[in-house]
Amino acid sequence: MSSQPKQFERLSGWRLFFNTIAARAYPRLIGQQRETSWLLFDVFLPLFSVAAYVYLYRAMDAPEEYVGFVLIGGAMTAFWLNVLWSMSSQLFWEKEQGNLSLYIIAPNSMMAVLLGMAMGGMLATCLRAIVILGLGSWLFQVSYQVVNFGQLFVVFILAMVALYGMGMMTSSLFLLFGREAWHISNLAQEPIYLAAGFYFPVKSLGFWIAAGASIIPLTLALDAMRQLSYPGGEEVGFLPVNVEIAILMVLAVVFVVSAKLLLDKMEKLAVREGRLTEGRR
Amino acid sequence: MALKTATATERGAGRAETWRSFKMATWLGWQIESNWADPFLFAIYSFAKPLASAAILVVMYGVITGGAYNDPLFPYVYLGNTFYIYVGAVMTGVSWAVIADREEYKTLKYIYVAPVEIPIYLMGRGVARFITGSFAVIITLLAGVLFLHLPIDPAKVQWGLFFVSLFIGVVMLAMMGLLLGSLSLILVHHAGFLGEAVAGALYVFSGAIFPLSVLPPAMQFIGYLIPITYWLELLRRSLVGGVAEAFPTLQGLSNTQLLGILLGLSLVFGVISIFVFRACNRRALDRGLIDRTTNY
Amino acid sequence: MSTEFAIQTEALGRIYKIRGGKRNKEIRKELVALEDVTLSVRQGELFGLLGPNGAGKTTLIKILTTLLSPTSGWARVAGFDVSKDPKLVRPRINMVSGGESSGYGLLTVRENLWMFAQFYGVPSKEAYRRIDMMLEAVGLADRAHTKSSELSTGLRQKMNIVRGFITEPQVLFLDEPTLGLDVNASRDVRRFVEGWLAEDTERTLLLTTHYMAEADELCERVAIINKGKVLACDSPAALKLRLQRDALFEVQTTPLDGLPMSELEKLDGVSNVTHTPGDGHATLNFRLREEAALVGVFTTLSGAHADILRLTKHEPTLEDVFVDLVGRSMAEAEEEEAEDEQPA
Repeated sequence: MSSQPKQFERLSGWRLFFNTIAARAYPRLIGQQRETSWLLFDVFLPLFSVAAYVYLYRAMDAPEEYVGFVLIGGAMTAFWLNVLWSMSSQLFWEKEQGNLSLYIIAPNSMMAVLLGMAMGGMLATCLRAIVILGLGSWLFQVSYQVVNFGQLFVVFILAMVALYGMGMMTSSLFLLFGREAWHISNLAQEPIYLAAGFYFPVKSLGFWIAAGASIIPLTLALDAMRQLSYPGGEEVGFLPVNVEIAILMVLAVVFVVSAKLLLDKMEKLAVREGRLTEGRR
Repeated sequence: MALKTATATERGAGRAETWRSFKMATWLGWQIESNWADPFLFAIYSFAKPLASAAILVVMYGVITGGAYNDPLFPYVYLGNTFYIYVGAVMTGVSWAVIADREEYKTLKYIYVAPVEIPIYLMGRGVARFITGSFAVIITLLAGVLFLHLPIDPAKVQWGLFFVSLFIGVVMLAMMGLLLGSLSLILVHHAGFLGEAVAGALYVFSGAIFPLSVLPPAMQFIGYLIPITYWLELLRRSLVGGVAEAFPTLQGLSNTQLLGILLGLSLVFGVISIFVFRACNRRALDRGLIDRTTNY
Repeated sequence: MSTEFAIQTEALGRIYKIRGGKRNKEIRKELVALEDVTLSVRQGELFGLLGPNGAGKTTLIKILTTLLSPTSGWARVAGFDVSKDPKLVRPRINMVSGGESSGYGLLTVRENLWMFAQFYGVPSKEAYRRIDMMLEAVGLADRAHTKSSELSTGLRQKMNIVRGFITEPQVLFLDEPTLGLDVNASRDVRRFVEGWLAEDTERTLLLTTHYMAEADELCERVAIINKGKVLACDSPAALKLRLQRDALFEVQTTPLDGLPMSELEKLDGVSNVTHTPGDGHATLNFRLREEAALVGVFTTLSGAHADILRLTKHEPTLEDVFVDLVGRSMAEAEEEEAEDEQPA
């Protein structure tokens, strides 16, 4: 039997990987263009919830840097939520709609599909982050004095790689658990905001809690960003920025590699248990 | 054939149908949302999420004030956040209920076809969320009293005021839930987050975690128009009277006046939500949106 | 790696463990979805899998398309083992399920199909060429730019069917593809399927259906499956030839009140009888070892005060083959399956 059809040359390998990312990002981008209501409640309304914490700090006469901390944390929340809801739990909805089995039987990589989902949502995510940080800083008259732009950029990029790697890892749970994993995504909001110090220096929680929370890439990323945003920021920092960058590098590699391994393993397990096509409530 | 008008019997049957729709929706919402039977889910929704949300504020407060939990601001913040759990629960619950019924369970079309009053159905789902949210509220209150010395003395609590305020709050939030549920009928899948976004926005304007006087005047004005502001104030006064009096924003209003304003604004929002429902419902039916799936 | 068969299975089995609810997590029972299924489908063949609802057709498709692993036996598709080498199977297959939607409602038909083609590495230009050609073939070209959420169920299913073909699979699995389609649409799809196979002898298609006429019309060979077991596998003509020795009659009578079928079955010369009540009448289908047995049938019916409304002799169909193998009609078998699944 011939191994490939004759009429055209199919993409494979890395070309297929990136092609899949683009293809899966497409419905997101088109969907956002055709239904623009997300602009209001996914981009502008979240600024208000962040503002609540700003006003709380002002009610307590907190130093103005803390307002900046809240805005940075609020901006990064956008990426966390993108990973949670546009990537991980999305597989639940795909299964409900009948698309998951089609993704599995296609020769593409599930990692590429997940990245496509996340990239497709990236426009909304970045807009949300920019509105919170940019517009928020203007509204609340917050000024920053970035100590080292290079390090800030590196921290952000590493945080994104580690975060999205972690997102792919957790999405493998959705292949197996379905609706229960949706509840875990719900759990990963406020408790993570607390443990990772989204709105306050994580150092305040004590060394061991902060250390444990450092497994979440945004913990150290936020801490480093805060230290780099204000002179003297190291006073409220958990670890020196260079150490945090090194840890983020390790996390990035570990999460991306683990994502690949766990996705394969979970898919095999789901195929064995027959959970890829059942509707689990 | 001449148009018929409803007879007294039919009107009575209509009232029975309204009550039946409400009971069914509340029961359904309870069945879907009640997590007490599953320890894992109960731990997430009644312990972890609400306590974490409160803990964020507690830590923020502790970091800045050096742990001054005796200051009146602390119970103000804590109690406002605790009862705001109801607002988030109802708002997110109803908007997600519409999306889930339409796209996951695919039952919304059957509910429409059945002799069920849809606005009552949406309000019933909101009330169910209020009831299930009570676990989180009680646990958060208990944590505050036991571990953070929240100054709630059962002997000094104005229980009458508390329960009357709570009851009005249930109705008020159910109306707001109807408003959001109506909008969800015409929005796509991401409308599931509408409730969360609106609840988050109202968090600023309702004086939940800081007195309204902290806001710029234009934003304060918005806060005065929202019934949740008065509702939270009444609950604080009933539980920790002295603390509420420490903040000047609504100091000039008596409990009776606050109740009156709360009732009046709830009525206004109720009327608005009915109009919004009618408009959204007509649009949804015109465009055939009741059974569409819109995930992307 | 075998190069002769597109699909091969050997003693394939699948057992589902069904757990109790939250209060009772012990395993309540095992469900044998497939048992000892051994099949071989040649390259270029249009192979049918025919059986009632719950027979195991979809389970078999899921195993062959790498969505479900077997609990016993093995299966190979396009020469590769579905359990050991699923990643080598997937570039060579595709699947279409009837009654399911795929894609995203906010995208147009063309956009949805393009997206799925990308997952298989079909270059965009080629993908669009195929999409336009196939939409024309199934009569959906005028709706190419319509959002799929605005299509009727039947048109969405046509889009779903095109999705299976545009990736140029070597082996294509169609699981009840005409479910929900009207007569004309079903006919369009069948023509399309036949045309597609005829174009290239390396293409293989496995079709599951519970529509006898569809299997009879399209399939070169048919496997009849019931309760997870393959009961027979041969060409429709050969299967029907098994019954040629018997005479098949359809008798329509006035309603049969209180006449048990056993009274008819025990008559000399009667191999099998099925009874389908109708509106003001009853339809009996007889398989007789000899035509003379009709005398006894009429006598018994007359004794039960049933009037004969119509008598028809017909050639055996696949439904008759099914009845011969299973002992009851497809509808009765589905009813029985539904009763078995009711909680005690």
